Amino acid sequence: MDDFEGKKILVIQTHGVETPTRTYSPLFYAMAAAAMEIEVMVWFTMNGTNQLKKGEAEKVQLVKDSNVNLKTMLEMAMDSEVELRVCQQSLELWDMKVEDLIDGVEIMGATSIIELSLTYDHVMYF
Amino acid sequence: MANEKVKGCVIVKDLHYSVKDNTWIKTDGDIVTIGMTDIAQSLAGPILHAKTKSVGTARKKGRPIATVESGKWVGPVKSPVTGEIIEVNESLVSDAQLINRSPYKDGWVVKMKASNLDAEIAEMTTGDAAVSAYRDKIEQEGFECSHLEGTDSYD
Repeated sequence: MDDFEGKKILVIQTHGVETPTRTYSPLFYAMAAAAMEIEVMVWFTMNGTNQLKKGEAEKVQLVKDSNVNLKTMLEMAMDSEVELRVCQQSLELWDMKVEDLIDGVEIMGATSIIELSLTYDHVMYF
Repeated sequence: MANEKVKGCVIVKDLHYSVKDNTWIKTDGDIVTIGMTDIAQSLAGPILHAKTKSVGTARKKGRPIATVESGKWVGPVKSPVTGEIIEVNESLVSDAQLINRSPYKDGWVVKMKASNLDAEIAEMTTGDAAVSAYRDKIEQEGFECSHLEGTDSYD
C-alpha cells in the first residue's frame, strides 16, 4: 500500500433517507480514505441534506437487527476525522434550520465548496 | 501462554497492549510483532480485506500500519511503536479472516524493527493490568466478543 498522506478527497452525497441503500457507501468510502491517512470531507447537498436532520438518520437501517444504522455510520465517520459539511442553500429544501442539524456538521455556502473542491485531489460524487 | 477471558474476549497476559487502539505487541529484542486484539476483531466483525503498509515503511507510533475492512466497519490499525516495517503477514492477502480466527497467532499484521521501544513499551499495558483495563472497557461499552468457526482455542 502506498503512502497517501497529504492527499485529499471530497465526497459529494446527494442522496437522503428516502433511499437508504445509497446512504451508507459514501460514508464507508470516506472512512476508508481516512484510515489511509487521506484528508476527506463529505459534502451533503440536495437530498443528502435530509439525513443530517436530528432524529432522521436513526431510522435508516440497512441490515435488520444490526447495531449499525445511518446515525452510527455518521458518528463513526466523524470519529475517523471525516469532516461533514452541508450546503447552506439545501437546508431550505427540507425546511431545516441550523439547530436541526446533528452535532458535528458545519455549514458552507456554494462558493466555499467550489473553492475547496479545486484544492482536492479527487472528487467522488454520489 | 497465560490468558484470561472477559465476556468471551481473550486477553493473552504475556503480550503488551495499547488498550486505546486495541493492538498488541510481542517483542524479540527490538523486533516487534503487532496484531489486533480479540476485542478489535469482534468489533470489526468478519474481516474482508486487510491491507498492510509495505516493508521498509517507517512509522511513528500512532500512525497506520494497515487498514482493515469488514462489512460494517473500516479503519486503521495504528502502530503502537515507532520503527520500520520489516515483514508483513502475506497470508492476510488471501485470508483476512485469519485476524478473526487467530488474532494473537497466525493473524498477526506486521513485524517492525522498533527504534524507541523502551520508552513506548512502558506506556503499554500487560499482565493483570491489561486484563483489568480491558475488563473496564468491555463493561463500560457493554460489549461481548464473538468468534468465527475455527477460531483458536484459548481454554
